[in-house]
Amino acid sequence: MKLRDIIRVVEGKVLTEGVNLDMEISCAAGADLMSDVLAFAKPNALLLTGLVNPQVVRTAEMADIAAIVFVRGKMPGPETIALAREKGIPLIAAPYTMFEMCGRLYEAGMASCDLDTKQG
Amino acid sequence: MSQVPQITRIQELIYELPIERVVTRNVITVSPDTTMSELKEILRINRISGTPVVEGGRLVGIISIEDLIKALESGDIQAPVRERMATRVITVQANESVVEAVKKFAQYKVGRLPVVNEHGDLVGILTGGDITRGLLEAIGLDYHAEEISRYRARHIFEDIVSDQTGLILRYHIKPRDFTGGGSASSKIKRALDRLGAPPLIQRRVAIAAYEAEMNLIIHTDNGGELIAEIQPEVIRIVATDNGPGIADIEQAMQPGFSTAPNWIRELGFGAGMGLANIKKCSDSMKLESQVGVGTRLEIVIRIQPVMSSGNAARPSEGQQKQETS
Amino acid sequence: MIALAEIVQKLNLEVVGSAENLDRRVVAGYASDLLSCAMNRAKKDYVWVTLQSHANVVAVASLLDLAAVIITEGNRPDDETIARAESEGVCLLLTPKTTFTVVGELTALGVRGEPEQP
Repeated sequence: MKLRDIIRVVEGKVLTEGVNLDMEISCAAGADLMSDVLAFAKPNALLLTGLVNPQVVRTAEMADIAAIVFVRGKMPGPETIALAREKGIPLIAAPYTMFEMCGRLYEAGMASCDLDTKQG
Repeated sequence: MSQVPQITRIQELIYELPIERVVTRNVITVSPDTTMSELKEILRINRISGTPVVEGGRLVGIISIEDLIKALESGDIQAPVRERMATRVITVQANESVVEAVKKFAQYKVGRLPVVNEHGDLVGILTGGDITRGLLEAIGLDYHAEEISRYRARHIFEDIVSDQTGLILRYHIKPRDFTGGGSASSKIKRALDRLGAPPLIQRRVAIAAYEAEMNLIIHTDNGGELIAEIQPEVIRIVATDNGPGIADIEQAMQPGFSTAPNWIRELGFGAGMGLANIKKCSDSMKLESQVGVGTRLEIVIRIQPVMSSGNAARPSEGQQKQETS
Repeated sequence: MIALAEIVQKLNLEVVGSAENLDRRVVAGYASDLLSCAMNRAKKDYVWVTLQSHANVVAVASLLDLAAVIITEGNRPDDETIARAESEGVCLLLTPKTTFTVVGELTALGVRGEPEQP
């Protein structure tokens, strides 16, 4: 699924400039614990989260997460946006709860980032 | 480079690059007093289809092969260019950015544009090809600088010969620095990328180092030190601190066990999964601690010989694109 | 509104803690791994999807009178937490699936992020 389609499904707004909307997203995960995000680490994944602190971007950088969607219209602070810009990780704000957004994306055919037993 | 920054870079360049950087200079021109018959020879010899008309350096018109054909048809071949040239010429300014020329190419559907300076003097002729070449060169310069850095970094272990060569990266980690947390791990990941480590290894090291770094930030009194020792076949991460120490290591290793305060949990950390994550990413790990003295965590990640050589050759692409599971 | 028992059956969930809630109707769903968010947003008869499995999850569920908590990614509460869930009448449902998949499957069964307007 392309990032463009995801943004349409969650009615999101892109918070960082220069985003490649045709980027292919392989799977999605809804998570608020950064260690959990690091555990499912897969390239080209989409993270839906209720956290907006800079560590979310750091975690995405370490785990090669392709893009981050913030739930319930939460807006990250300037530090978070600056770090995302520096690392080239698109940030998207969307109005719905994590439950609603996971549901919508699942209905739209998005795959889940399933946990591997082996790291990778 | 991944696709996103490249597209952005070209967009930037179209706005940044001045026309004078890409324009073809020393173009063939004629004077208004040149006859159409002389023009015919100039066009034929130089194999061109038109030229700017210049008087005292200033651009006064443009004359093309079409004008010549019309002159031939009407038997006016001895007339001066002045009488047959087009005087309303679409031009671009040398100090404008390339984007202005791109707009005019599209708007007027012309293939070339005379370029003038602020006094109206002819500087040269600009074609679409000039712009493409200029952009490619500018990107090539950027690309080259990064390539050279990578090349140099990647050959460190070949260039410097010893019985055991290692690169040591050492970082001081401040306690409770939640905002800056992860910057050391980020630098380690970048170093590995430059050194040409496979993407999977980069990710494993980054995750293990980041969990260790966050542990120092969250749990220590005075912060600590994060050290990455990079050798051609193995990467060792060592995190040390001087307290408070872990009372029961076996318990600490259990997934879900945590002593993190609530504020840390609400920031998405301290759920007791960090050490389990580190263990999963590492080939071996060793945790030693004494209450009141300090803790030492050592993580070892081996670099397996890369199966497909493409992996090691282009680590930066792999960051975003390669499926590794 | 769907009964909890049907969700358990359709999603193939393992029931631990109290089973007395299984005939309850689920009005909506909430997903978060942050207890404070769940405290603020989840309501009576909601099902809460999280990977957290520690004792405080039971406390939140009991306080809000949630229909159930679905604990994802194969996380398993310890015996003490299960005992507490039993005594407080909290239904814990376990699954190896991710939060994303569980929410997707709940959505397919008609459970949404907000209760349906009557």
